[in-house]
Order: sequence, then structure tokens, then C-alpha cells
Amino acid sequence: MAASESEHLHHGVAHGESHGGISGGHYPGMWVFPNPRVMTREMAAKVSAMPQMFTLGLLLTFALLVLGVVGFVARASADGFDDRAPWGYYMATFSFVFMVTSAAPVAAVAFRFTKSHWRRPLSRVSELFAVVGIFNIIMFIPMMMILPPILNPNPVQGHDLEIRRTIWFEGPIGAPHAWDLAGVVGLAVTALFILYLSAVPDMAEARHTATGFRGWLYRTLSGHWYGTKRQWNAQKAGLAMLGAFYFMTLIFVHFIISSDYAQSMIPGWKDSIFPVFYSLTAFQVALGLCLVILYVMRRWGGFQEYYGKSVFWSASKVQLGLTLLWAYHLFAFFITYWFGRLVVEQNIIKYLFAQSYGGVFVANLALSFVIPFLLLLWNPVRRSAWGPPLAGVSAALGALMFSVRVFVGGANSGNIYEAFLNHVPAAAYPDIWDIFIVVGGIGGAAFIYLVATKIFPLLSVWEVKEGALYQGMRRFIRGEYLVLAKPE
Amino acid sequence: MQEGRTPIPYRQINRELLFSILQSPKWFPIAIIILGLIVLGGFSAAGLLVNKGFGVTGLNRPVMWGFFITNFVFWIGISHAGVMLSAILRLSKAEWRRPATRAAEILTVFSLMTAMMMPLIHTGRPWRTIYWIYTIPFMPYDYARGIWPNVRSPLVWDPSAVYTYLTSSILFVLVALIPDFAVLRDRTTGMNHRIYTMLAMGWRGNPRQWKLQIIAGVLLSALILPVFVSVHSIVSWDFGMAVSVKTWHSTIFAPYFVVGAVHSGVSAVAFVMIILRYIYGWQNYIRPEHIDALGRLLIVVATGWFYFFVMEILFGFYGREADELAVRDLQFMQEPWNIWMMVFVFTTYFLPVALWLPRAFRRNLWIMSVACISVNIGMWLERFIIIVPGLQNKQVFTFSWYTVYSPSAVEWTIIGATFALVSMLMLMIARVVPLIPLYDIKEYEVLRTEVKIGRVTVPAVYRED
Amino acid sequence: MVTNRIDHKWGMVVDLDRCTGCQACVVACQAENNLPINTKEYFQQRRAYEWIRIERYWEGEFPNVKARFIPIMCQHCENAPCEPVCPVFATYHNDEGLNVQVYNRCVGTRYCANNCPYQVRFFNWWEPKWPERLRNQLNPDVTVRSRGVMERCSFCVQRIRRGEITVERRGVEPLTGEAIPYAEPATPTQGRYLNYQRMKEGNFLPACAQACPTNALMFGEQTDPTGPVFKYFEKANEQYDKVHHGEYVDESKTRVYRLLEEMATKPNVIYLKKVEEGAGEAH
Repeated sequence: MAASESEHLHHGVAHGESHGGISGGHYPGMWVFPNPRVMTREMAAKVSAMPQMFTLGLLLTFALLVLGVVGFVARASADGFDDRAPWGYYMATFSFVFMVTSAAPVAAVAFRFTKSHWRRPLSRVSELFAVVGIFNIIMFIPMMMILPPILNPNPVQGHDLEIRRTIWFEGPIGAPHAWDLAGVVGLAVTALFILYLSAVPDMAEARHTATGFRGWLYRTLSGHWYGTKRQWNAQKAGLAMLGAFYFMTLIFVHFIISSDYAQSMIPGWKDSIFPVFYSLTAFQVALGLCLVILYVMRRWGGFQEYYGKSVFWSASKVQLGLTLLWAYHLFAFFITYWFGRLVVEQNIIKYLFAQSYGGVFVANLALSFVIPFLLLLWNPVRRSAWGPPLAGVSAALGALMFSVRVFVGGANSGNIYEAFLNHVPAAAYPDIWDIFIVVGGIGGAAFIYLVATKIFPLLSVWEVKEGALYQGMRRFIRGEYLVLAKPE
Repeated sequence: MQEGRTPIPYRQINRELLFSILQSPKWFPIAIIILGLIVLGGFSAAGLLVNKGFGVTGLNRPVMWGFFITNFVFWIGISHAGVMLSAILRLSKAEWRRPATRAAEILTVFSLMTAMMMPLIHTGRPWRTIYWIYTIPFMPYDYARGIWPNVRSPLVWDPSAVYTYLTSSILFVLVALIPDFAVLRDRTTGMNHRIYTMLAMGWRGNPRQWKLQIIAGVLLSALILPVFVSVHSIVSWDFGMAVSVKTWHSTIFAPYFVVGAVHSGVSAVAFVMIILRYIYGWQNYIRPEHIDALGRLLIVVATGWFYFFVMEILFGFYGREADELAVRDLQFMQEPWNIWMMVFVFTTYFLPVALWLPRAFRRNLWIMSVACISVNIGMWLERFIIIVPGLQNKQVFTFSWYTVYSPSAVEWTIIGATFALVSMLMLMIARVVPLIPLYDIKEYEVLRTEVKIGRVTVPAVYRED
Repeated sequence: MVTNRIDHKWGMVVDLDRCTGCQACVVACQAENNLPINTKEYFQQRRAYEWIRIERYWEGEFPNVKARFIPIMCQHCENAPCEPVCPVFATYHNDEGLNVQVYNRCVGTRYCANNCPYQVRFFNWWEPKWPERLRNQLNPDVTVRSRGVMERCSFCVQRIRRGEITVERRGVEPLTGEAIPYAEPATPTQGRYLNYQRMKEGNFLPACAQACPTNALMFGEQTDPTGPVFKYFEKANEQYDKVHHGEYVDESKTRVYRLLEEMATKPNVIYLKKVEEGAGEAH
């Protein structure tokens, strides 16, 4: 903590010891960045600039959002909200956007918690997903209308269940809607708080130079910040506590969303690993997409000097770990159901893995595991800036396939009040409105993220500055080596 | 990590860490004799068991597995500390792992050996288990008749995984021991000298040898990781595959067991470290900072474990199947299981995590010992609570439900003996190899440095990649 | 000489409407299969051997209490959960629908017993002992199992085998010892069936079925239309297919069922529901 206190005085120390060409060299352990003052100025310039490509992207994503709204309205007017079957692809879209948005801030939270220095350029990119949380909340409202009631409205005696299987059991007051909504909203609000706390020092730095709306916003939000020791301590403690709270809330909300909207939609699907698996998929895709953003901004957005290769190198190890864990959890599920051979287990495997959604599952497995694994296994790829983001794109497509398989499968499983799935339902294919909804949902989320980058720059300036203090190159016996300091 | 400490000279490191080998303490033979007698008692009990049949245990018809399998899973769990600390922390370059690695690896080897004795004792005809796991070429196995072990059985996956793990752990320990054997070779005479010469395999400490040793260590760490995960997953599948025992057949079992194993294993290692520090006076090497770091790691592991535990329980109720609910009812509501359940959850999660949260407690070795023992009591109970109530109320037909399982003296003796056996083996190996890696400590002494930021000095290390 | 080996598919039907819970089958089984005496001690230790057991349930409130009996023996499942978990193939499935236990291979891991949902597998906790005067009572056709071995109902495989040898291979009338004249079967399937009358007369049926005074236990070939169990198995299989194609089966309209059908073990034993008093009006 003491480091941050004195950083304004000593930002040149570690930097002075470092040597030019190392960041791009054989070894990505350290990154080199311009003078902090220049950094703040450049970030301000990047935030206010509107390059042509950015405008194009903004227009494109907005167009997609409009398409999505059209698809949604058409779907709602054609089918209403009584039956959940036509809404499968909407649920899958929500799930995909929700997975990415909710899990992305964890990249900042978790690596801040482990005090990994390489995370510093990544933090803001991941925290900025908090803004998309608002879009999540809007998308969540129709989901609640689709959810079938917990109590069977017209039970056939001795055949259907009176209360369907749900994690809410007898259905306490407000369940599941109130709890689900509280979870989604609470998550979004916590993420926004984390974003705010993390951005306060940067906003304070830029408030004097920024003009217009941004200037007003920065001044309003960071008016009290003077960078005293007490304030830094409070900020760090706040980030740690909010981060821990966010992580736990996230795990809980992933649990309720994945079980309410996927698992309990298929009668008799009792799979205790599924929420874990859902969270893992979310972490994998969120980290991957953060790296994609890093790569895009590094390649075309002029962030070359800020996003060193060490981010990709170190994040790729985590990515590889998550990919392997993904496969491991999938296998842990699969072997249990495969060996169990109960009727319902056989049918669920046939439904979601082999027959009805067999093709989607193969695509999911290839995109979420095989391709990222083969890419990341290869050291030159992991050391490059393009390798880990490529694996991220693959994982994102895989997560979309996963959402389609599980959520569309859940929506089309037929009578939800059955004791268990005793037959294999057919797969549901998307029609034109479904495709509109899918591209609209993803486009809308991207649109909001793009807008957010015009408010906060994609770099956590204070974190990068702080990181520079903790590392340097020193002579050791016969060569220059990286020296990494860890507080505590 | 080791804040505000002056560097230790190599000579002192050698002298202090080889203390357990070169100058054996006086209590050593007494401790070995006492532990040996307990182990002997355990072997006698096992002999009685083999001679008389399984009637001498408390097992009965639905409760076909009891203490032995519980103990088997427990020791397999303890063995997960070695790789967790050595391989994972080596790959993630956590500096504070250094003094803990060797003890953890050796504990891994011994606990695996002890664990594998349990299924052998547990089989009805141990003299015929040659057909099951020991496929020694010269033994008369039924190959000639075309009958091979049933590869569909989790009980075939299980020894395969465990023996792979045992082999690779031994390899891992030996590779890491070579430089230390060389040190011992140079400090012993006579027979010992000749044995250590053989074990040191011509180690001269030249750069090429160091490079190969480091590559071998990293490679083994990476290769042992999948084995590490697979071992406890497969142990969990011994239960998870049993479709007829409702509380066992849960998809989450594999990661749940692995995290639980790391939880109990790392706690056990922390406790072993504290003991070693006490009995051999290694205060300079096993410092409160290391135990503190282990404590912080354990908070994360324990909370992860708790999440899996809650998922397992919640989805037990989620299914709303009468037969499963009956088992849950037995576990949570009926005596004595409800008491064991409370004890288990309290000792596994709430007590230790509460003790690990304050920094001052983490650095207090007494409190850490209590927390670590508590975890291991809880984790033993966890396996017991999973295994026995599930079997008691296993089936749908209520007619033959609920028999009480009360372990007999034979079982208690054998369980107690396994603890004595592992302690005895640990003490005996401390006479032969240094339980804190000398070269790892020295490497850290070389690599550590400091970075001055303003008025503050922050500990730092040189990194090679 | 007749040597047409028949590909059997054995099955048993338990008619709960006829079962009176008299336990004759239990005694017959005990005598036939060299089961150790279930002493009081064994029962108290919960280690009794009951290859077939009559489960008794009480239904209703006093005074309108009904006793329900259901005999449960090894179900000889087609997809037996006990089989894949045995590491040494001590229990496996043969192609006659029998679940076979090979005592010599068994090492006694007891995993099969854990994984049996019907709770019909038994472990030899002690070395089996009989009183001296019962030594000559032991059945020479059946192995005496040592301690540490799993065992369970074999559908009296020793009787079936003897039946096959005498009736099919040798072509001998079991009672009179006369040779059966062999005639070329008119259709390929005709000659492939066993004469049940002869099986029964020759004591080649499982001991429990033989002993049952009310014929509640019927044993025979599932695919033999002349046999006693054919129509029930046909019905049960049809029902199974229907359910698993998502079709509705009114359970009140059928008597045939298998135990724990949702476990997909496909037992070769099927049960017929008890016909309730006054149930006739419902149909």
C-alpha cells in the first residue's frame, strides 16, 4: 500500500532501470510504457477521438441492436410469452451476453487479488464490461415472463409433478423472479461500483484537462479525490472487498440463472456440476474476449505501447488452465451420466450431446476445448499477441454454442412437469427472428461497450504506473534479469 | 516473502538442514519404537481379519464399505498436497513454496502407499487381489483364458491412476533430491557415503546438470498435474459411478473430491511443517511467513471446497427423489449423523477459516496447528458421512433399510495404525533425506533481492522468465 | 442323437396376486443352494443370506391394514449395474439372460453389492459352517463359497444346466429315462423350444419356482410362445418401448411391471401387480 502513496514522486525509478527493446524481445516478462504524464494525456486524446473505424463499428452494432429489437417484437407478437419453446434462442442470447458481461470484471478482481503484475493493462478492459450490465438487466425482464410457474397449473393425477423440479423447492415468496432479478441487478450494480472505485484516480488525473460531458462527469465523480494515503488505502480496501463480494455474488447468480433457465427446464436433469461448468465457461469466454479487445486496440487502436506482450503470455496460461478445466468438468459430468445409464441420463445425453443437439455439441467441444487447447499448447502461439485472442474468439463461439445447446434445449424439452425426461425431444432450429435476436443481443452489448470506451479510456493508468514501481531490470551475475517485487 | 532477514550462509544451511540426518536426536529410537508397536498392532489386526474373515469388522449387508474405504480416500486426499505445493506452486512461481515442497512430496509418497494398503485389507480375499491390480508377468493370471481385468470398472481405473501417481511422485522426489544427495555424499563416510554416491548419480553441480535438473523438475511438474487431477477424480468415481447409491451418483464428485483433497492435504503439510520446525529446530527456514502464505492459500481452497459442498447438497435436494431425500434426511436429521454432520461442517470450514482470516492467527503456529488438525478431522468425517449413510439407506425398497454400522476394534486398530505408519515413515525418512530442500533454499537466498520504492523496501526476486 | 443346443433367454414372472408370503421359496432356495444357516447371530449382525426374500409392507391405517408381499431375488438385469463395476469380471452376463457369478474370480471388493439397487447380493462375512448332521445335506451340484466371496441368486443355474443336458442334448425323458424320438422340426423355430412340462417334472426349474405352492413364481423362456412367461415379457417389452418413445402408458390398465424401471436395468424378472378388490369395475 505504501507503494501507491509515493508513486507520484518515484514513478521514474523502476522505469529508469528498464531497457528499451525488452518488451518486444524474446521474453515478455515486462512491459515498457511512456512517461506517466504522456500516458494520461494520450488516454484523454484516445477517449475523445472518434476514428472512422470506431464510428463504423458504432453504427454497425447499433444496426444490429435495431435488428434484435425487431426480432424481439416480431417474436413477442407472434408467440406471446406463455410458451417458453419459441424463446429458446432469446434465452441462449441472454445467457451468452450475461456470461461474458458478468464474468469479465472477474479478470480484474481475481488477478488484483493474487497481486499479479501482468494484469495491470487488462484491468480496465475487463471492468468496463460492468456498463453492459445495464443491457443485461433489460434483456432479463422478458426472461422472467417466459419462466414457467413452479406449481403445476393443471396436474394430471399420478402422472405429472405438482411442483416442478427447481432450486427454489416449494417456491418461497418471490422466487424465482425476485431473486433472479435481484441477482442480475445486484451484480451489475456491484460491477459498476468496482469500475467507479477503480477509475477514480484516473478520473481525478484527467478532470482538469477533460472538457464537456466527460469533464463534468470526471469532476463530479472524483471531486473528493486528492490521492492521500487514506484515500488510497480506502480505495484498495474497497476494491478488495467489492471484488470478493462480486465474485461470490457472481457464483451465486450463475448458479441460479443456469439452474433456473437451463437445468430445471429439462425434467429430471439433476446435474450438480452444471453451475460450476456454467461459471467456468463464463470465465473462459470472458477472459478470451478481454484479450480480443486488448489485441484489437493494440493492433488498430494505438495501444501498442500500453498492452505489452506479458499480458497475453500470462493470461494465456490462465486461459489454458480454464480450457483444461472446462474439458475436465465436462468429462466429470459425462462419465457420471454415461456410467449411470438411468433412463433420464441416457435421454439427456442423447438430447444434448448425441442426437438432437449432437452437432451443436461437437461444435461446442471443438470451439471451447479442442481449438483453444491446440492453440495454447504451443509456446510460440502463447507468446504472440494474436494467439491467445484467437483462442478467445474460438472460446466465445464455443460458449455461444454451449448456450444454444443448453438453453434452447431446455426451452424445447416439452412438458416441464414430467417426473423425468423419458424420451428424446427433437432439436429446435432458429428461424429468421431468432437469428435477429441472437445478432441483436450480441450487437447491442457490443454497442454499449463501444459507447463506454468513449467515457473511460481502456487503460487503468494508476495501476500501470504502480506496476512500473514494482519491477525493473537488474544486472545479475552475467546477464540482465527482471526483478519483480511483491508487496506483503 | 521472508521479510527483514539477513541472508543465511550456505554452511549454516547445510549444517542446520542436515541435522536430522547427521546428528540424530535422542528421542528418535523411542519414537520409532512406540510408533512401530502401534503399526505392529495394526498388522496383527489385519492378520486376524484375513484369518477369520470380514465378520470381525462392523460391516454388514447394506454397509459394505466403511472405515477402510473412508481411510483410503482420506490418505489419497492427503497425498494431493505434494503436487499442489510442488508442481502447481512451482509452475506459478510462488516463492514461499520452497521450504514446504520436499516434506509435501514425501508425505505424498507415504500417504499413497498407506492408502493403497486399505483396499487390499478391505477385499474379502486379499490373497487373490493379484488378479485385480498386480499384473506381475510371472504370476499365474488368467490371461491364458482370455480374462483380463474389467476396464469398465472404476476399481481398475483407480489403481491405475494411483500407481501412476505413486510412480511419478517418487520420480519427482528423487529428481529433486539429487543435488541434496550430492551434499550428503560429500559429508558422509563408509557405507552411507557409498549409498549416497549411488543416489547422487554423479552430480557435480555443473551448469548442464543444473539445467537438466531444472528442466526435469518443470517437465515433471507439468506432466504430474493431469495425474494429480485424475487420481482423486477417479477415487471420487468409485462412488460417483455407483448409480444405486443415490448420494454418491453426483456429477460434481470429481472436482469436489479434488478440492477437498487439496484442502486436507495442504492443511496436513502445514501441520507437518510446524512439527518439523519444532522437533528439528528449523526456525530459520520454516518461518511464520510460510505458514501464513499456506493459510491464505487454504482460505481460498476451503471456500472453493465449500462451494462444491453446497452444490452437492443442494442438488441432492433438487432432484426431489424420495430415495435420495431419505438418505439426506438420515445425514442431516437423524442421530448420530446430524451431529457428525455439524461437527464435520464446523471443523472443515467454519472453524479453520475463522482461524485463518486474521493475519496474527495465521502466524501463530499453535492456532495454525489447531486449524489444520481440525480440517483433517473434518475431511475424514466428510468421507465417512458420504460413504456410510449413503449405503445405509441406499435402496428404494424400504424393507431392509437402516442398519447401524458400528466399526469394530479391528477396524479402529487398523485406522490408528495407518496414522502411526505415516508418522513413522516420515520420521524414518528424515534420517535419510533432508526434509527441506537445501538447494531450493539456497537458490532463494541467491535470487532474492529488494526494491526500494520511496521510503519503503519491498522484497523482490529475480525472475528468469 | 439330438444335439441342438438351444439359445435360451430365461426369465421369471412373479405374480403378486398369487403370492401369499408363505416363504416356501426362501426355504427351498436355502436348501438347494448350500446357503449357511441364518442363525440369530447372522440376523443381528445384518449379515443373513437371503437369495430370495419376501419383503412385507403394511398398507393403510389400523384397522384396515393390508399386508403386501413381494418376493425379491436377483433380477438378472440385462444392463446390470453390478457387472461393469467388478474389476475382475467375477460377475458378468451370459447370453442366456443370466447374471453369472464366478466365485473363483471374486476378490471381494463388494462394489457390486453397493451398486445393486435391489439389494440382492450377499457377502460371505465368515467361513460358512454347517452343523455336523447337515453335512450330507449339501447339494453336490453347488459350490460351497468360502469367506470373502460375493454370491447371489443364480436362477438355480445347476438345475437349468442339468435340464439342458438331459432334455435337450441327451433327449431323455427325465422321469422314465426313455429316449425322446427326434423329429426334424417343421419350422426352423419349432424345435428350438424346451418342453416345460418336462422341465418341471424333472425338477429342472429353479427351486423357488418349483416350491411355490400357488405358482406365483413362473420360470421359463422369454421368447417361447408355448412357455408360461412369454406373454408377460412381450407385454412388458412393448410397454418399455412405448414409454421410451414418449408415449403415454396408463399404468392403471396394466399389471406388468419391472422393478425400478427408471434405472434402465432391464431386469429379466417381471412382476404382475396385485389385483385389487373391486378393481374389476374400473376396467
